[in-house]
Amino acid sequence: MTMTWFFEQIEILSRVFYYLIQVVHWTILISISAYVLAMVLGLVFGVARISRNRIIRVFAGAYINTLRGVPLLVLIFFFYFGLGKVINLDRFVAGVLAVGVCYGAYMAEIFRSGIEAIDYGQHEAAMSLGMTRWQTLRHIILPQSVRIVVPPGANEFIACLKDSSLVSIIGLRELTRAGREYANQYFLDFHTWLVVGVIYLIMTLSLTRLVKYLEKRVAVHGYGASRDDH
Amino acid sequence: MIIDVRNITCRFGSITAVDNVSLSVDQGEVVVILGPSGSGKSTLLRCLNALEEIDSGEINIDGFLIDKSHRHIHQIRLEVGMVFQAFNLFPHLSVLNNVNLAQRVVRRRSRAEAARVSKELLAKVGLQDKLDAYPGQLSGGQKQRVAIARALAMNPKIMLFDEVTSALDPEMIGEVLEVMKQLAREGMTMLVVTHEIGFAREVADRVIFLDEGKIVEQASPGDFFTNPTHQRTKDFLARVL
Ligand SMILES: Nc1ncnc2c1ncn2[C@@H]1O[C@H](COP(=O)(O)OP(=O)(O)O)[C@@H](O)[C@H]1O
Ligand SMILES: [Mg+2]
Repeated sequence: MTMTWFFEQIEILSRVFYYLIQVVHWTILISISAYVLAMVLGLVFGVARISRNRIIRVFAGAYINTLRGVPLLVLIFFFYFGLGKVINLDRFVAGVLAVGVCYGAYMAEIFRSGIEAIDYGQHEAAMSLGMTRWQTLRHIILPQSVRIVVPPGANEFIACLKDSSLVSIIGLRELTRAGREYANQYFLDFHTWLVVGVIYLIMTLSLTRLVKYLEKRVAVHGYGASRDDH
Repeated sequence: MIIDVRNITCRFGSITAVDNVSLSVDQGEVVVILGPSGSGKSTLLRCLNALEEIDSGEINIDGFLIDKSHRHIHQIRLEVGMVFQAFNLFPHLSVLNNVNLAQRVVRRRSRAEAARVSKELLAKVGLQDKLDAYPGQLSGGQKQRVAIARALAMNPKIMLFDEVTSALDPEMIGEVLEVMKQLAREGMTMLVVTHEIGFAREVADRVIFLDEGKIVEQASPGDFFTNPTHQRTKDFLARVL
């Protein structure tokens, strides 16, 4: 291996990198949109899952179990080729909807367990002060659940970001799709997929650090089991 | 008569926790409820605050009726404050905000008004210098005094205390009982479940003995502790005195 070969490789890799980094915002945009949708759906269905109304509870359970039981790829096909052809959804909307409703089901379970982890005494204290169930949830339960929900919830975003690569299959030109096109055009499979992998890795590792930071932030001052017992 | 309980029953599956209990309490009266563990003391208090649904009978609190329809629970909870054995302070809120919150969202008081009421009550329970502390930084006795201030902030007409000193270290029991005595002196109507016989003797207007969900005996503390009439009361007193 000569020095020239080495520099040649570096040159190719940086060319691929420079090309692909220009579409990475699509991956970010899809992930964030899908995740925002997932959080909203997750909160709604997580709360619905423990509603007093049996019909609402069963409905939320059906949503959660159905969407967790179907492969994401199938959901993407369904939203784009199935539903998308009927009500005319473009690739981006169909892709975001598919990833969003799928992750919404996972987020719902995270929210549900975050709510259920709060001691029942908190509900009783709030109710004894005349607060309604909704006020109790909003002012007492959810603020405490945040601390429990943030670590697994943020990990879902990392998973969501990685799974956004699946929407490449319906021709949405995000990072993976652009990588495939580039590799096919220039016969540079090795370099391209190496770079694609590295770009995903940079994003996921940065997010992992961010999650660690958030975990510290939400640990409210003077609040926690370790400091509660004296 | 501010509380009028008629033949209430509260069941959990096959267990009858409160069994056909009738009870009336006058304005300003302090009623201490004694009884062995599992006799339904907590359930009875919780029924009075509509935290537990009654299966039959009715409860009239200051003119509001609780029955199976559960129509007036909101008004009733405003009339009735409750303090729990486990404190149940809101750990994510400062002491001041623990006392402020329900005033703001339930009573719809302004921030300034709520803070004024909270500070006054926290001073009354001796915690004026802990406004910005979090519950996790307080001792058990301090937590329980915050819980009392939090309940009082809603201006209840009746206060329910469920074994509020049972989770405390012995040296902190006095400071909480002192606050309760002060409240009694000010004329608050109080129902107190406790094992503190001294408190019952000194403060109670009436002592009720509950066993297996039924009121076995009720009398003034003088009569109750010196001349109990029922055998079960005698057995109970022999163990706790
Ligand atoms: N939420 C509940 N579910 C089932 N059983 C309960 C519940 N709460 C209380 N009980 C039962 O009701 C009876 C009375 O309980 P409780 O009112 O807590 O008694 P006390 O406060 O006098 O110790 C007990 O047998 C208890 O096990
Ligand atoms: Mg009890």
